[in-house]
Amino acid sequence: MTPLELNDTSNALFNVALFAYVGAMVASFAFVAFRARALAWASTVVGAAGLAANLGAVITRGLAAERFPWGNMYEYSMAMTLVVVAAYLVGVELTYRIRTVGGPVYAFVVFTLAIASLFFYVPAGPLLPALNSYWRQIHVTSMITSSSLLGIGCVLTILYLLRDRSERRGVARLQAHEPPPIMGAAVDTELPPDYVPGDDDAPAPSPRRIGLPSAATLDRLAYRFISFGFPIWTFGVIGGAIWAQEAWGRYWGWDPKETWSFITWVVFAGYLHARATSGWKGRRAATIALVGFVSLLVTYYAVNLWIAGLHSYAT
Amino acid sequence: MALVWRTLRSMRTALVLLLLLALASVAGSLLPQAPNSPERVVDYLADHPVWGELFLRAGFFDVFGSWWFTLVTVLLFVSLVSCLIPRSRAHWRALRSRPMQAREIDAFKRYAERRVTAPPADAAAIARKVLRRRGFRVAADPTLPALAAEKGLVREAGSLVFHWAFVLLLVAVVVGKGTGYTGQARIVEGETFTDASFNYAGQLRAGRFFDGDHSGAQVTLIDYRDAFGDTGVPMDFQSEVRFTSDDGATTRTEVIRVNHPAVFDGVRYFQFGFGWAPVVEVVRNGTTVREDAIPFVQRQTAPEGVSQLAMPWNGSVKLPATDDREPSHAIELTLWPDGRALAGFVQTGDPIPMTTEFDPVLQYTLWEGTLTDLSLAGLDTSGMRRVADGLIGADQTVDLERGCVVGIAPAEDRFGTACDPGAPAGLTMRFPDLRQFTVLQVSRDATVPYVLGAAILILVGLLPALYVSRRKIWVRADPDGAGSMLKVGGFALQRKERFEEEFAKLVDALATATGGASAHEREMVGT
Ligand code: HEM
Repeated sequence: MTPLELNDTSNALFNVALFAYVGAMVASFAFVAFRARALAWASTVVGAAGLAANLGAVITRGLAAERFPWGNMYEYSMAMTLVVVAAYLVGVELTYRIRTVGGPVYAFVVFTLAIASLFFYVPAGPLLPALNSYWRQIHVTSMITSSSLLGIGCVLTILYLLRDRSERRGVARLQAHEPPPIMGAAVDTELPPDYVPGDDDAPAPSPRRIGLPSAATLDRLAYRFISFGFPIWTFGVIGGAIWAQEAWGRYWGWDPKETWSFITWVVFAGYLHARATSGWKGRRAATIALVGFVSLLVTYYAVNLWIAGLHSYAT
Repeated sequence: MALVWRTLRSMRTALVLLLLLALASVAGSLLPQAPNSPERVVDYLADHPVWGELFLRAGFFDVFGSWWFTLVTVLLFVSLVSCLIPRSRAHWRALRSRPMQAREIDAFKRYAERRVTAPPADAAAIARKVLRRRGFRVAADPTLPALAAEKGLVREAGSLVFHWAFVLLLVAVVVGKGTGYTGQARIVEGETFTDASFNYAGQLRAGRFFDGDHSGAQVTLIDYRDAFGDTGVPMDFQSEVRFTSDDGATTRTEVIRVNHPAVFDGVRYFQFGFGWAPVVEVVRNGTTVREDAIPFVQRQTAPEGVSQLAMPWNGSVKLPATDDREPSHAIELTLWPDGRALAGFVQTGDPIPMTTEFDPVLQYTLWEGTLTDLSLAGLDTSGMRRVADGLIGADQTVDLERGCVVGIAPAEDRFGTACDPGAPAGLTMRFPDLRQFTVLQVSRDATVPYVLGAAILILVGLLPALYVSRRKIWVRADPDGAGSMLKVGGFALQRKERFEEEFAKLVDALATATGGASAHEREMVGT
């Protein structure tokens, strides 16, 4: 195929992936609402198909541009959703057999792809020489991977906060001898017997239960993703500094992108500390993770779009 | 207890300080910063007089160089060190002491008993081997057939490595930036730049403790080359330079490219930018007053979607009067390195990226009056009168006062008008050559290797600090008939749900090794 045909193939696969993810999202939300097993399977199968299309889109894009396909925002977004969905399918569905959190995760993915296709689309092409360095590949690959993992962790944290609130309400209601609500049936009001927020010792997720996992499980799962993503982010920032040293003669210059990746790093370090500090576990730590999520989005979108810097000569 | 409390307290302090740094960084990324973009600071001050003044006083236009940013960094450093020292001591003690024995094993979070055939002393010895093989540190009880074991001290060790490395990183960065400098050298092809303060023309950023000791090395630009793709996408920039040391003893030729810096005399040189430098020769009343290559800059920023390479290049020549009765002159120049781009722009209005030299054209305007500023910076024509303007192609000579080309027949003229022959020219300009210049980023930072080393240690320490969990196990073999009753208790400080499984497997392994039934066999028998 010619580069032009490859480019078109990539675009077509991109759209297939986007629609598949929308389907997986809808099926997953429907599963939580109606609790039909078939819906969970539909979500997994359609999501996996989307993943295959997404992978195809990334590969054909790379072939069209004759380089690693992460050179601009459009390509980062595509690679990020690839990692998010793969990490979700393997890390959540396969490992923990939890199938009720797919909706929000796919929503995040669909949002990312939609933004990419609306605002960031550029045809495949070569890169500026400043961007040609293998440190760049290392840096960008780690940033994409870690952003994806931290992103999933933050989506799970939001679910944790919601779930935690409903569990607390459930407890309050039980204590007031009120009957449990009939509406909102997808929400399980049962509270694990000795649940302490942020405690690793809470009961393991049950494979057969339908409904959002318990707050303790969500919290632990979120922590898993964040503590997996954090060192990769650290590595990515270091790789970026090495690249900056080679390309611009300074490893750190408080360029907006650098500044925001530092801010994000600090906030997630704060989260890890909070989670290891009694009195800060649970909701407080989760709030810090949410600040980290906002910071992540700013690093990813706002800096490229509105705040100019050396990094913006990528566009 | 007091120690734990204090540790938590200082950890909180450190966290708050860290978040303060993050907050300050947010301000630094939202407001224009003087070291990176001084023009934007000036614009900001003009647009927001009140807030601008306030921010200026508080150092918000140089957040990362402000006293309060330094203060928070120093406080963080102190807080970190003050809590790392006791932590390191405690860890050192933990490493040297043996795991403590426990009496009431069945009180632990996880507990199991198994009936085994080995007598107590043998069972304990075997259990010791099993635990050792699994990487536990084991201590035998001197009085009883009992063991205490633990694993995962490397978590704390990793955490300490991480935190100390962060301290090292802070120190290395501060020392490196403080004693080094960064500047930009602009060198025209064929010319030489010397690494010395006054040659950076205000483009030098030196650290607080930099002693002004530049290398004095000379850098001669032999040739500058670049390559562009079809659509004007830059593909490569390279500067071929010759370095000569201060004492002239060593010379070396290097090609500096993007991502391929050169190091000479402890100073690094990076490809940073490029530009055009037309050579102009100005003759006033028969005397040559200027004959040199002038590095031009681009004053116009390309509009959205247009390559910056389509924009023309600007420069000027300032000619102060030789005596008070005469007015001064200034020539304002605009260069189109590719003449086709000017023609295209005039005819169709479409911008064309100029990537190579092709029929270069200079637009000139002659001004007469008083010069306010004789520096190399931009031209201020407010006190001046426009005399004439026109175009000049390569190797042509123009009469600046009349705005016409000298010495050509009217038919040969492609740009402007040919001068009437014979008329005397008081002020003429020739455009004999067009050269390029390179911009090299010059920097000296002595601690880069330490910063890198600290960064690597940060990563190395982080992994065990995050993923290893600390586990403790106690084993006791009480006499039970001919064999013994093996009692195993323990707990994990992290990753507790994983420990449940590990504990079960460990108990199984201990039981099988000491002649008991494994869980599987026990299930088969139905006990
Ligand atoms: C006075 C300052 C500090 C103190 C007392 C402190 C204390 C601690 C302690 C006790 C742990 C171990 C937690 C555990 O094992 O569960 C820890 C972990 C950690 N610290 Fe700090 N820390 C300080 C500053 C910092 C700073 C400045 C950073 C960098 C941004 C940082 C990043 C981390 C990270 C990433 C971890 C690993 C988290 C984990 O183990 O779950 N710390 N810190």
